[in-house]
Amino acid sequence: MENIKNILNRYDMEYIEDYKSSWVKAKLKNKEDLLKVVKDLKEAGVKTCSTVSPTDFIDENKIEVNYFLEDLFGKKNVWLKVDIDRELEKCEIDSITPLMPSADWHELEAYSTYGVKFKNHPNLRYFLISRDYYGKYPFRKDFDWKAHEKNLVQNINDITEEYFEEYDEYEKNVGHEGSRTILNWGPTHPASGPIRLKVHTNGENIEKIDPDIGYVWRALEHLAERKDFIGTIVAVERICFMDNPNPMICYSQAVEEIAGKEITEFAKYMRVILGETGRIASHLISLGGFFGTMGLHTFMMWCLDIREYFLDVLEDYSGARIATASVEPGGVRYPLNDYQKWFESVKRALRKFEDTKNDITDIFMKNPLMNTRAKGNGVFTLEDVSEFYLAGPVARASGAKIDVRIDEPYAAYGELEMDYVTCENGDARDRLFIIFKEIEQSMDLIRQAMEKIKAGIEAGEMDPKKDHLIRMPKKMPAGEAVTRVEWARGEMLMHLVTQEKATSPYRLKLKAPSVNHTMVLNKLLKGKTLSDIPLLYGSMNICQGDLDR
Amino acid sequence: MSVGAMLFYILVFPGLLFLLTWTFFVFYFARKMLALIHKRVGPHFNGPAGSLQTVYDVFKLLSKESITPKSADPYLFNIIPIITPLVAALPVILIPWTPLINGGHGILDTQYGILGLVVLIGVEPFLLFLTGFGSNNKYSFLGGMRILAQMLSMEAPFFLAALSPALLFGTMNLYEIQSQNTWLSALILLPGAVIFIIAMLGILEQPPFHIPDAEQEIVYGFYTEYSGTNYVLLKFAEFTEMLVVSAAAVVLFFGGYRGLFFDSFWWLFLKIALLALVMVAIRASNPRLRLDQMLKFCWSWLTPLAILNMVWIIFAKIYILGV
Repeated sequence: MENIKNILNRYDMEYIEDYKSSWVKAKLKNKEDLLKVVKDLKEAGVKTCSTVSPTDFIDENKIEVNYFLEDLFGKKNVWLKVDIDRELEKCEIDSITPLMPSADWHELEAYSTYGVKFKNHPNLRYFLISRDYYGKYPFRKDFDWKAHEKNLVQNINDITEEYFEEYDEYEKNVGHEGSRTILNWGPTHPASGPIRLKVHTNGENIEKIDPDIGYVWRALEHLAERKDFIGTIVAVERICFMDNPNPMICYSQAVEEIAGKEITEFAKYMRVILGETGRIASHLISLGGFFGTMGLHTFMMWCLDIREYFLDVLEDYSGARIATASVEPGGVRYPLNDYQKWFESVKRALRKFEDTKNDITDIFMKNPLMNTRAKGNGVFTLEDVSEFYLAGPVARASGAKIDVRIDEPYAAYGELEMDYVTCENGDARDRLFIIFKEIEQSMDLIRQAMEKIKAGIEAGEMDPKKDHLIRMPKKMPAGEAVTRVEWARGEMLMHLVTQEKATSPYRLKLKAPSVNHTMVLNKLLKGKTLSDIPLLYGSMNICQGDLDR
Repeated sequence: MSVGAMLFYILVFPGLLFLLTWTFFVFYFARKMLALIHKRVGPHFNGPAGSLQTVYDVFKLLSKESITPKSADPYLFNIIPIITPLVAALPVILIPWTPLINGGHGILDTQYGILGLVVLIGVEPFLLFLTGFGSNNKYSFLGGMRILAQMLSMEAPFFLAALSPALLFGTMNLYEIQSQNTWLSALILLPGAVIFIIAMLGILEQPPFHIPDAEQEIVYGFYTEYSGTNYVLLKFAEFTEMLVVSAAAVVLFFGGYRGLFFDSFWWLFLKIALLALVMVAIRASNPRLRLDQMLKFCWSWLTPLAILNMVWIIFAKIYILGV
């Protein structure tokens, strides 16, 4: 930490201060210094850019760009801020992509939504947003959504017309040459989901992959600004339906931090149980989907069968199976009137998995054909992890000891026993195994948390009917917070900015891991064959919901 | 052969009606078995235990519009689905189905039974390649290329394994092969049977070799552009081919319609159904191989083993059967 502070002290800073256990927060005075600072930090081990988040302060006529730079293995993180002009002509800053490739798409996103021009970005273009928003920078505070939405039908017609105008020219522009062609993998493809990979192929061999994203862009970050602090949970939980409670936990923590409130022990343990249940529900889909990409649907069906029991747990608590809205700022949303009954349903879900575990191991985890396909295929090394910021299970499959639950404990994870779960090879097969191992770890955590709650209730320290929620202020003070949680697919980072006496967030940046995982597809798939696309793409657990937001 | 008998052969058994019934049956059987392994229910509502579901499905597809894409070659695209089931159904006349017809021989009793089978089965993939070629679609074309690559390699072990009973019994007549088969010779032929069944999975594009119509990779391969009646006809051809090839396996290696206490068509049917069950079990538990892995497996394992199997057959013929 001192080392990093020394580096930052060399430059002209407004302030440098400690933030949480593993962050240094600093504000740069001159934007010209940015590249030098980042270069020095990179030499000191801070090699990864988690995300780039501009905040539009329209009253002060400035845009504040936040860089979240992380040292994944040394656990030293830097939150670097810099102010730039708000006028479109002057709104530019040096791109850090040449130094940190993991910033690539995050900068493109900032450019498309805020109009921050990144000088020397290798390929600065509009990205993610729908075509009718090009050049309008929709997340700026002075963008008129209502006026834009009035022309919705006209905009769609324009896009369609433009498409048909290009259509005839398209096949010529594609440029077939011998056995070379471009194949669309998605967005209406049996295994793709709403994403398009432009696959440049030579026969069956892949020469280049060009992902085209934005098919499910819902402007969630803007949606949060329209809602109040509690209403925002339904926006953040829709980031991806598979692991539902964890994004809400992340958001709620940010609000609690700004309000300066501490939630009860009971609510903390409840967050652990809900979060881990969501993780298992997501991992079961990932497990089944892995085999689904190779044309075997049996395992998917089995996983869905087990998943039903975990969704029952969520339903018994909140009344909803998928979009539960079960965590809100101040604790968890509902009291636990009959905790023994709910624990019984949790235990039934855990038993269901335990009963099937041996069959799964024998038939699927040891499957020889799966080994043939996945072993040694699509390897990521530790350098790749820090260069492109692969997160969560994908990083841990390569042997990286990264887990926000341990590095920066939140909820009640600090009081539970857990260790990093890792594999060594970093190939597609390990990305399958790690998910299987993590399910067992999650089940262990759930058991521990249930024990603690039970002990707490019996000792009279917790009251499941009253302790679930503390009173939160109606109006928030001005402030900002960065929180992270370990989501099912990797680190989720939220940057929340509020203004004095605010009733809704001023700015909420959502960072989810699928962006980086899609960014590396070209590196992952180059030189492989067409058959490897679904397998390796599936092994990255990419969800378009959190890719586009 | 009288005209009445000929019409019966063509229209009822082992012709059109039989093949249609088989298609409905195997469609239903595979769905229900797969559902059992998937922990699902499968077809349930229409007919007893959902047995009419496949019939409804087929008639639904028949009543749908067959769309010919703008860029496809309309003649090639629409003619191939008619030719394919006809070619797939041709080998039916070579196979001895039941002791009741033609004194237990096949309808066409010829000395070149195995040759006829292998040639007629081998024509099929070229027709399917043409469907992919005529669709003028990248996915279809890739599917067509894949099916050619797969067929060229899988036919070598398939043919070599099919020759092993001919070597052992010294005849290519299917009736004579099945009537000379004993428990001992079935044991001797067992390695050949295993190779035949593996190669058969490749020929029929069954898992783990369902590479030409790999859904997750190239959408639906050569089927991609087909819909309605054309699609039904292609599927009909696929199931007919499946019947013919499994029946060939049973006749060549497992004694055809000969059974324990009496000889009947139902013994043949039972053996074919057992083979289908094996195929469903493989489908339910194994992921797909990659094209290059399939080629490697075929040429560096299956084909050499098929040749070794020929050596073993000759050895067994001389030293075990002592002919």
